[in-house]
Amino acid sequence: MSFLTPFFLLGALAVALPVLFHLIRQTSKEQTEFSSLMFLLPVPPRVTRRSRIEHILLLVLRSLVVCLLAFAFARPFLPKADSADLASGPGRHIVVLVDTSASMRREGLWAEARAKAEGVLRSTTPADSVAIFTFDREVRRLVAFEQWATTAAGQRVTLAITALAKTTPGWQGTQLGQALINAATALDDVRAENGQLIPRGTRQIVLISDLQEGSRLDSLQAFEWPKDTELLVELVKAKLPTNAGLQLLADTDDNERQPGEAVARIRVSNSTDAKREQFQVGWSDGREFVGKPQDVYVPPGQTRVVALGPPPLGTAPERVLLRGDDDPFDNTIALIPPEAARVSVLYLGSEQASDTAEPLYFLQRAFPSTRRQIVQILARPPAEPLLPTDTAAPLIIVTDTLPDERVASVRRLLTQGKAVLVSLKNKNLGRTLAGLVGKESLTADEMKVLSYAMLAEIDFQHPLFAPFADPRFSDFTKINFWKYRQLTPAQFPGARVVAKFDTGDPALLQMPVGQGTLYVLASGWQPSDSQLALSSKFLPLLFSLLEQAGGIRPQVTQHTVGDRVPLSATNAAVLVTRPDGTSLTLGAGTTVNIQTDQPGIYTAVSGTVTQRFAVNLDPLESKTAPLPVEELEHLGLPVKHVEAKSAAQAAEAKRQLANAELEGRQKLWRWVIAFALVFVAMETLLAGWLAKRPVATEHAAT
Amino acid sequence: MISSADQAGRAQGELIDPQALMAIRSLEMRARVVVEGFWSGIHRSPYHGFSVEFTEYRQYTPGDDPRYLDWKLFARSDRYFIKKFEDETNLRCHVLADNSRSMNFGSRGYPKATYANTLAATLAFFLHQQGDAIGLLTFDDQIREYLPARHRPGHLRHLMLALEKPPGGAATDLAAPLKRIVEIVRKRGLMVLLTDLLAPVEALEKNLATLTASGHEVVVFQILDPAELAFDFAKAALFRDLETGKQLYIDPDAVRADYRRSFDAHCAAVAVTCAKLGIALRRLTTDQPLELALFDFLRERMNKGKVVKRNTA
Repeated sequence: MSFLTPFFLLGALAVALPVLFHLIRQTSKEQTEFSSLMFLLPVPPRVTRRSRIEHILLLVLRSLVVCLLAFAFARPFLPKADSADLASGPGRHIVVLVDTSASMRREGLWAEARAKAEGVLRSTTPADSVAIFTFDREVRRLVAFEQWATTAAGQRVTLAITALAKTTPGWQGTQLGQALINAATALDDVRAENGQLIPRGTRQIVLISDLQEGSRLDSLQAFEWPKDTELLVELVKAKLPTNAGLQLLADTDDNERQPGEAVARIRVSNSTDAKREQFQVGWSDGREFVGKPQDVYVPPGQTRVVALGPPPLGTAPERVLLRGDDDPFDNTIALIPPEAARVSVLYLGSEQASDTAEPLYFLQRAFPSTRRQIVQILARPPAEPLLPTDTAAPLIIVTDTLPDERVASVRRLLTQGKAVLVSLKNKNLGRTLAGLVGKESLTADEMKVLSYAMLAEIDFQHPLFAPFADPRFSDFTKINFWKYRQLTPAQFPGARVVAKFDTGDPALLQMPVGQGTLYVLASGWQPSDSQLALSSKFLPLLFSLLEQAGGIRPQVTQHTVGDRVPLSATNAAVLVTRPDGTSLTLGAGTTVNIQTDQPGIYTAVSGTVTQRFAVNLDPLESKTAPLPVEELEHLGLPVKHVEAKSAAQAAEAKRQLANAELEGRQKLWRWVIAFALVFVAMETLLAGWLAKRPVATEHAAT
Repeated sequence: MISSADQAGRAQGELIDPQALMAIRSLEMRARVVVEGFWSGIHRSPYHGFSVEFTEYRQYTPGDDPRYLDWKLFARSDRYFIKKFEDETNLRCHVLADNSRSMNFGSRGYPKATYANTLAATLAFFLHQQGDAIGLLTFDDQIREYLPARHRPGHLRHLMLALEKPPGGAATDLAAPLKRIVEIVRKRGLMVLLTDLLAPVEALEKNLATLTASGHEVVVFQILDPAELAFDFAKAALFRDLETGKQLYIDPDAVRADYRRSFDAHCAAVAVTCAKLGIALRRLTTDQPLELALFDFLRERMNKGKVVKRNTA
C-alpha cells in the first residue's frame, strides 16, 4: 500500500482533538470570582470513573472517523509492478533554441544558459529527438534532428553539449520572432518527413534566452503558430540589472556646421529595471576617456540625448564611451563620419566658365558641395583629349559640336554604361547627336516660336520627373522656352519622349544606347534659349539626372553588426582589417561586401585607397530588461514557464505521474470515505442514546 | 431624638430592603430614602463652642475667659458662672470608603462597594442635613478621591459624584491612605471607615493604630457579603481572587468548614484589635437594611456623647 499524498496522514494527528476535548470536559469551564482567596486552599478536582467509561466508545468512534478521513485524503493505492512502464511513451521532438545575441554577453548569462541547456538535454530520453539552434539576427543549426538521430544514443548529449561549448554569444541583435518561426517550421518539417502524425504535446521548443526587451517579435504577428507545438521558456537573468546603451543619432543634413556646435549627438538609454541613473559619456580612444566626460542622468527606462562637443584639440577620438552601468558590452560606439562621395560630371563644351550667357556657367553653380557628396564639373573643350579621370565620370554633358573622334570616344563610353545628356544649344549639334545615336545624320532644325513654348506633356512616371509628381511641384508652365530645335522621335529608335513642348514637339528624349542612356534636350538652359536654368526645377532635375546616371548612391550613415557593408569597387585586392585586429583579403574585381560580425572600426585597404567605416551594436540590444513572458502569450504562443529540472527530478515527476494515474484508476479513497460516513452515523446514534440515558435513569430514580 | 418604639417598629419589617434600595440608580436618592425621618439626629461634638444650644453652667475659676460669664445670673445670684453651650456644627466627619477590587464582589446582585457607597452617602447626607462638615476619602492601595470636610451648599453634590465613580482600584492596602489622611486632616474629628477588612490582621492593627493615635475618633463598618460569611457556593469551580487575580480550583463542599473556621477566626481577631484600639466596629452584611447601620451609628454617637458629657461635667 502506497500513498499519493502521504503528508495528509499527518491529519491523523487530529485524533488528539477528541481526546483533548474529552479531557477538557473533565475540568469545569466555570469560573467564579471571589473577593479573597486568603482563607482557601486548593483542592484537586473530583473525577468519577463512571463518566470516563460512558464516553470511551464515543471517543473511539470519533478518533476512528478522523483517522479514516486522514487516510482517505492521503489517497492510498496498491502499487503494481508495471506502473513504471506507463511512463515511457512515444518520444518527444524538442528544439532547444539558445540566444547568442550581444545581450547574452552580460556577466554570467551565457554560463547559466549553457547550464540550462545541459539540464534540458540530460532530461531527454533515448526516444526523444532533439535539435539545437542558436539565434541572434540569424538562426544557426548547431545540431540538427538528423545528426541527433544518426548519433549513438549514449553520445547524443555529449555531442550536443560539445557543440554548445564551442559557441559563444556574438555581437548581433535579437530576431526572436524569426528564430521561433524557424524552430516551429523545423518541427513541422519533421512531421512532414515522417509522414505520420506526432502525438499531441510531444513537440516542444525550449527557449533559453534573457528575453530582453529589445528582442524583435514583430515577425510572429503574421505567423500562425502550430497548435500542438508548445513553448517552454527558460529565462536566464542577469545578476546586475543596470545597463545603459549608446546610440548615434543621424546628423541633420545641414551643409555647414556652426562653430561650437555639437559634433555628435548620442542617445543614452537606460534599461527599465536599472538600479542606477548616473552615467558618464565622453570621447574615448577605446579604453579611457579623452578629455572631460559629461555627466548624464538617465532614469530607468528613459533616454537622454547628449550633444558631444568637439574633442580636445590635438586628439582625434573616434569612439564614444559610457561609464557607470554594470555591463560593458554596449558601452562603446565607434564614430566615423561617412566621407563625402566624389562625383564628377564631364562637360564637353568650348565656352568660358565665366560667360553668363552660356550653359556651363549655370551648370557649375548647380551642384553645391554637401557633406554627402562633392560634385566636380570637369569642363573640357571638345578638341582636347580625355584624361583617365574624365572617363570615370558617370555623366557626360555635351553642349557643343564634337569632332568625330571625340564623338566616337563618347559613344564608346555611352555604350559602356555612362549617361550622356546632349543639350541642343544650336542646330549644328545634329551631326554630333547622330554620331552618338549611331546614325549618319539627324535633323534638328531651329523652330520658330511665336512668343514662347513651354513644357506641356511631362511623363511623371519617368524617374527623372518622378520627384515632381506631386501636384505641388508639377507646375512647369512658368518655364518659358524662347527657342528650341525640332526633333523627330522616329529618328531615335527605342527612344522614349519624357517631355513635350506645348507645340507637340519632343522636349526631352531618353534613348538607351548599349548599356548606357542618352538624354536629348531639344533646347538649352542658358537664358538666350530658355528660363530653365533660372527656374527652381533646374537643380532637382540635374540631381535626378545624376542619380539616374549612378553618380549618387543612397548612403547608409551607420552600420550595425551583421550588416553587409559594400565597398567601392576597385581593381586591386582588398585587405580588410577587423576591429579585433584580424584581417582577411578579398579577391580583386569582385563586388566587395564585407560581412560584419563585431562592433568597431573596419579598415579596407585596396591599392592606394583606404576606406574606414564604423560598425556599432544594434541599439535594441541595450534594452536588457526582461520581456514579460505574457508578451509571447499575447502573440498566441502556448508558453509553459518551467524551471530547469535535473534528471532525478524528471524521473521523480514521471514516477509521481504514474502513481497518480494508478491511484486514479483504483480510487480506494471512496471506500475509506464511505466507511468514515458509516462511523459518523454510528457516533451520532450512540451520542444520542447516551444523551437520553441519564435522564431515563433519573426518572426511574424519582 | 429617636424613640425606642420607632426603632422597634422599623426593625419589625418597615425597614427598607437593601436589594430594593440598591435598585435605585441615584446614590443621592438612595441616601435620601434612608435618611428620611432622621434629619434631627443627635450626637455630641468633642468640642464645646458657643452656639445655640445651652448645656450647662460651670463655676468660674480664674483663667476662664470672662467673655463667657453669665452676667444676668451674676446679677441674680452674685456668683460668677460660665455659660456652656453645645456646638453642633463643628463635627468634622470623614468617611473613608474602601474601593479596592475585593469590594467588587457581590452575591446578591450588587457588589459590596455599592452597599458601602450607599452607606457613605447616607451618612454624608444625614450629617450634612444636621449641619456637620463632612469629608470623603475613597481609596484602594492609594487615595483615589479626597474631599475635605466642609459644610457648604453643593459640597454634598460633589461628594455624591465622587462616590458614584466606578471602583477601579487594586488590592486593599490601608497603610498608605490612612497615613496620608492623618497627614491631611490635622483637626481632630470622626473617621468612618467602610471596608471589608479582608487583609492580614497584623497589618490592619498597625494601620488602624495610626488613625487612633492621631486623636481621631474611629468608627469601622466592616462590609461583608453573606456569601463571604457562609461560603454557600454549590458547584466546584475555578475561583478567582479579585485582588490578586490568583485562580484556584475549589470544591466548596470540601472546603466550607475550613473556610468558615478561618474566616471567623479572622473576624474575631479584627474585633479584638478594634476593641484594643478603642475603635467601634460594626459588621454589616450587604443584605442588612442600611437603616440599621444608621441606628448603630447614632446609638454609638449618643453613647459617646454621654461619655463626653460625663467626662466634662
